[in-house]
Amino acid sequence: MANLLWLQGGACSGNTMSFLNAEEPSACDLVTDFGINVLWHPSLGLELGENLQKMLLALTSGQMPLDIFVFEGTVVNAPNGTGEWNRFAGRPMRDWVTDLCKVANFVVAVGDCATWGGIPATAPNPTESEGLQFLKRDHGGYLGKDFKSKAGLPVINIPGCPAHPDWITQIVVAVATGRGGELSLDEFQRPKTFFTSFTQTGCTRNMHFAYKVSATEFGQRKGCLFYDLGCRGPMTHSPCNRILWNRQSSKTRAGMPCMGCTEPEFPFFDLAPGTVFKTQTVMGVPKDMPTGVDKTGYIKLTAAAKAASPRWAEEDIFVV
Amino acid sequence: MNSEQQNATLRKMAQLMRDGLKTQTEPFPETEKEFAAILEELRRLDPGDLEGKMVISGFVDHPYGPDRQRCMECMYYLVHRQWCDLPELAVPVEADWWCRLWRI
Ligand code: SF4
Ligand code: SF4
Ligand code: SF4
Repeated sequence: MANLLWLQGGACSGNTMSFLNAEEPSACDLVTDFGINVLWHPSLGLELGENLQKMLLALTSGQMPLDIFVFEGTVVNAPNGTGEWNRFAGRPMRDWVTDLCKVANFVVAVGDCATWGGIPATAPNPTESEGLQFLKRDHGGYLGKDFKSKAGLPVINIPGCPAHPDWITQIVVAVATGRGGELSLDEFQRPKTFFTSFTQTGCTRNMHFAYKVSATEFGQRKGCLFYDLGCRGPMTHSPCNRILWNRQSSKTRAGMPCMGCTEPEFPFFDLAPGTVFKTQTVMGVPKDMPTGVDKTGYIKLTAAAKAASPRWAEEDIFVV
Repeated sequence: MNSEQQNATLRKMAQLMRDGLKTQTEPFPETEKEFAAILEELRRLDPGDLEGKMVISGFVDHPYGPDRQRCMECMYYLVHRQWCDLPELAVPVEADWWCRLWRI
């Protein structure tokens, strides 16, 4: 049995909701089929009050082994670096985080808040929030950039707002079944298996992207959402169009732009009015180009792609 | 709009420009903010006010500026339908025309 503890800092519980929606394996399968012993979880934990505190102390003292520590939400440091705004089981949550990370074999940050601070850490960041090992793009975060858990890995970051249930369960299962050491992580400590390709990989609107045919309203059945509606699919590392949501669809398939929720800068432009769902342009040219494409090439490509685009690309072709 | 109506509208627009219709080609909207302000102005028009649309969005019947920008490269232009798909405009256009809502 692998002991798993899941705690929540500054969070909306979105990742918990996502996790509870897991299907293959489900949260119950983790216990019955994969031998994961969920010691406590904010929605599933049975212990309350002093009993919970006792269990946490047994973990931090080493009396009880902690194999996987999952953290959801930011580490709240306010006010004035004390963490008193987020107390849990008799002390600031951040103090529990410090002690539990020292004894855990693996530490897994789930969701943008725990990985890089997410929405709570957006300026002016009144809760002085940070992620476990990053604050936005800056390496360090609450635990510091040199942190390694007992198994020798840094925090395993599973970003997303929220993270897809399969990303969470598959990583937890890999760790619980002794394959944690095989995980290969990218520069932001995200498992490469999920975060090497782009949201755009597998998007059903790719041909419209190629032929530069734009969707101009949400939910339209033609057109790509990059040109006008702010889709960040070509710049966002996520498998959202390979591992579908609810096993059915994805934002972009349904006609909503990808907001780039797996990247450290999310939410982009600090949510300034007019920056959400609108492609940011300077003199009519996109500010953020698809990864690896330059402006001159882009303009040339546009002319060529439009000239070559077939008639069907301008018609409604999707029945999603 | 059927193809007959579309052709008629296109001819009317071409005629207006040939007759020297003065449109607001400047300033070009530098960012989303200025772009959104022009869209706001367009939304206040009666959707059938063709001339009003053309004036506010700065239509010209030739490529514009040092980069010779034209509808052809604009993201709102549908090549086969010869149509500007920007919902606030929704008018037929020629590939060589231009307006200041041009975005690539
Ligand atoms: S809708 Fe977004 S993800 Fe899909 S092809 Fe367009 S830019 Fe890429
Ligand atoms: S489509 Fe984009 S915003 Fe939506 S969940 Fe995937 S990465 Fe996040
Ligand atoms: S927005 Fe202006 S430049 Fe673009 S297709 Fe429409 S009329 Fe042409």
